[in-house]
Amino acid sequence: MAVHRGKGLATVEYPTGMNQNGDPSQAWIKVKPDGRVDVFSGTADIGNGSKTVQSQIVAETIGVPYDWVTYDNSNTDSSPMCTGTFASRATFVAGNAVLKAARQVRERILAVASRELEIDPADLEVADGSVSVKGTPAKSMGVDEVAGAATFVHGELLTGDGAHLNPGAAIIDPTTGEVDKPPHAAISYAACTAEVEVDDETGDVRVLSLTQAYDIGRAMNPTLVEGQIDGGAVMGLGFGLLEDCYPYYPTAEHRGDGMNTYHVPTMAELPEIKNVLMENPSSGGPYGAKGIGEMSNNAQPAAIANAIHDAVGVWVTEFPITPERVLAALDAKSEGRSEPRREGRVVAFDEELSINSFTSAKTWGA
Amino acid sequence: MELTVNSVSCTVQSPPLTSLLTVLREELDITSPKAGCESGGCGACTVLVDGQPRRSCLTALCTLDGSEVTTVEGLGTPEDLSRVQQAFIHHYAAQCGFCTDGLIVAATAYVGGGGSADTGDIGEALAGHYCRCTGYVKILEAVAAVARGDTFDTASTASSANNTYVTIAGAES
Repeated sequence: MAVHRGKGLATVEYPTGMNQNGDPSQAWIKVKPDGRVDVFSGTADIGNGSKTVQSQIVAETIGVPYDWVTYDNSNTDSSPMCTGTFASRATFVAGNAVLKAARQVRERILAVASRELEIDPADLEVADGSVSVKGTPAKSMGVDEVAGAATFVHGELLTGDGAHLNPGAAIIDPTTGEVDKPPHAAISYAACTAEVEVDDETGDVRVLSLTQAYDIGRAMNPTLVEGQIDGGAVMGLGFGLLEDCYPYYPTAEHRGDGMNTYHVPTMAELPEIKNVLMENPSSGGPYGAKGIGEMSNNAQPAAIANAIHDAVGVWVTEFPITPERVLAALDAKSEGRSEPRREGRVVAFDEELSINSFTSAKTWGA
Repeated sequence: MELTVNSVSCTVQSPPLTSLLTVLREELDITSPKAGCESGGCGACTVLVDGQPRRSCLTALCTLDGSEVTTVEGLGTPEDLSRVQQAFIHHYAAQCGFCTDGLIVAATAYVGGGGSADTGDIGEALAGHYCRCTGYVKILEAVAAVARGDTFDTASTASSANNTYVTIAGAES
């Protein structure tokens, strides 16, 4: 009886920028007479930081300080339509919508400033809340002054609107599944290595380290990206070892029904996490961004399973990899029963099993 | 029932078996303790009772007569943040914020009790707090920094040592 160490690797290819039509995001922007910018978008911030990132996109695109921007998604009547915050689409799709709206606002600021300064708009630039003549920064006026002039001199409202909707791809060859245009706006890639310790007496698995590399397109807000990737690693650790999407383990009455019974990783189980963030700009995302939300928790469970095989020579083919499953696999191996890697039960989604697991004590698959 | 909440004496009217969490949120309108699992599992409702971290969801009001209760609101003000609060800002130890108040309270008790900067010690002390967004790394860095005696510039964000950036120039895909 001993503790064994092993290492495993897994990779992810993840489509971001929700596609196939029908998932639009819209935004509109108005500039107040003091130059402050109100963004109206339906994209909810569910804690992922999308308000921050979209405000950054608007500030950068118009050329005003970040704290001039107010992002209002307070209700669905005043905000334009957005399909939602899911599928790693908020930065990519909704970010493109606010980007397009902000470009319009910038054009209108330049048009009004052009009349005020009597200079062709092509010779003007906007940065840090100020419109200035290219090459002659001394000749300038504030965006607040431009907005005041638009309101009180020219009788105009500085606004912009934008929407983003990726075109759907149609299958043109049913045999191969070939489609007539790229089915995804941007593909992100990731790899994760896990280092584990497996106790062959208790079946306990301890993850010592997760070293990961992510193609993130561009880190719009590095701190948020890092937090998302660290958080995804810990979620992946939970999916790998603790958490069950089907709450039936071992039977329905044992399912977790709250945070005191549905076990998730805590700070005590936190492995050493090292990240490499590769900035490989996408052509379609705002400022080269890709989505990082969901892919950040995909690779860890498989990397952990591979590391367990490296450590003790068994394939555990169901998540979560509980001590019981590790011991069962070790028993099967010692009894000469083979546990072929690819013969695990594959349940993508089974409505009947899912309903059974919630409504009766029946052990599924029995 | 007489309580001192965030240095303010108050008489509360809730029935004796009401949880402290409900008293704070519903009667006193102090909403930093969060109702997460409401069964002692997640740590989001943690407050200090006479300086010790307690699950307010599991603490009955009748056990608290004369006690001193401290929530995040009582640790610092926006103008005069506590060191733990400063550290959480500087290290960006929050994402959605739901677990943050409980963690700040527990970290305050940990550091106040002479807790070390060792990650194992911190992990053990704060293992009763679930974070589902940002994966503990920056939270742990923040608490370790307070335990080390760092000073914090809340106008800037610390970069985490565990991240390396690689730029692929001209490789648009």
